[in-house]
Amino acid sequence: MFGHLKPEDFVNLIEGGELPGGRKSHLEGCAPCSAKWAQMSSMHAEVTSLDRVIPEPDWADFRSAVRDQLLSRSVQRASAVRRWTGWAIRPAAAWALSLFVAVALTTGALLWNTERTPAPGGILETPAPPVEPGDLETVKTVWSQTALFDELIQLGDADEEQLRQMLESAQKRAPYRQ
Amino acid sequence: MRQTVTASMPMALINQDADAGLVERYLAGDMTAFDELMIRYERQIYRVCYRFVENREDAMDLAQEVFIKVFEHLPGFRRESSLKTWLYRIAINHCINHVKKHSHEFVEVAEHMSSIRPMVHAQLEENEQRDHFRRMVKYLPPKQKAILELRIYEQLSYEEIARISGRSVSTIKASVFFALAKLRKLVTVGAVYDRPRTSGKDNRRS
Repeated sequence: MFGHLKPEDFVNLIEGGELPGGRKSHLEGCAPCSAKWAQMSSMHAEVTSLDRVIPEPDWADFRSAVRDQLLSRSVQRASAVRRWTGWAIRPAAAWALSLFVAVALTTGALLWNTERTPAPGGILETPAPPVEPGDLETVKTVWSQTALFDELIQLGDADEEQLRQMLESAQKRAPYRQ
Repeated sequence: MRQTVTASMPMALINQDADAGLVERYLAGDMTAFDELMIRYERQIYRVCYRFVENREDAMDLAQEVFIKVFEHLPGFRRESSLKTWLYRIAINHCINHVKKHSHEFVEVAEHMSSIRPMVHAQLEENEQRDHFRRMVKYLPPKQKAILELRIYEQLSYEEIARISGRSVSTIKASVFFALAKLRKLVTVGAVYDRPRTSGKDNRRS
């Protein structure tokens, strides 16, 4: 009904356990199981009786060796991390710096070009500021203060009137270039 | 009231609580907890290591490596098992790996040798027989040996061994049975000799 005993049953027997009724009667009646049980119990007894004298180390030395190794490993790990971080950061910093320089140069060049390049049509729509009579006076004052022009330019009333007309017409026609 | 509760608590639970406290203290940087943890478990771990290598120096080296592993991985200890179980698991795995790395293949000679073994056995002194028996224990497969050692010499319960090895109690009991059967075969057949490994990584290297 039960068949032969299982390994677990033999170990339970070795450990002083009881077999269920059916298995117990099987063990009593089954020669192979009885032989195996005899072998296992004698083997277990032999193993158990082995005197195992284990020489003990100096435990204080043992502990300090473990502590020292832990410490040295943590120091090694920390320096390895620092080394790794250094190696990792240097190229990263170089990359970041070169990227920044490249972006700055590109932006600068773009801005420079935008400022230098005329808008579509080439002429800005900003009207020239109106010429005030005072401006002519200023021009005259500046010219009067410039010794070089004193000799070259002698504006008469007619010339002055002509210059005014030229400036006014220029204001109307000619666009103001920035 | 507290005393009553403590007194009624099983010893294993009290030990677990104490271990958890020590782990917390160690992780908080209290180095006295390191010493206390070491004192609690150094002998047990050393004994396990010694049984695998049968040599004081090697056992010390192995036990130190186990403790270094333990303390380095302590921040990741998830407390799913007790510290003792976790420690034993690390120690057993470390020792099994060590033995596998340094093992020699052994070969059993033909069955007819068994007929002359009883004669030889009869001539051996009792001490020699014991030495012979001890040597045979060494030749057990590492996992079976570990389970047998934990049960017989460390006197851990089958439940504890099952937790350490991550197997069922039935499997552990079966392993004890097969270890004893194998040991009997080794002792009876007896003629076992070491031979350098002829397969696996070591062979490919050579």
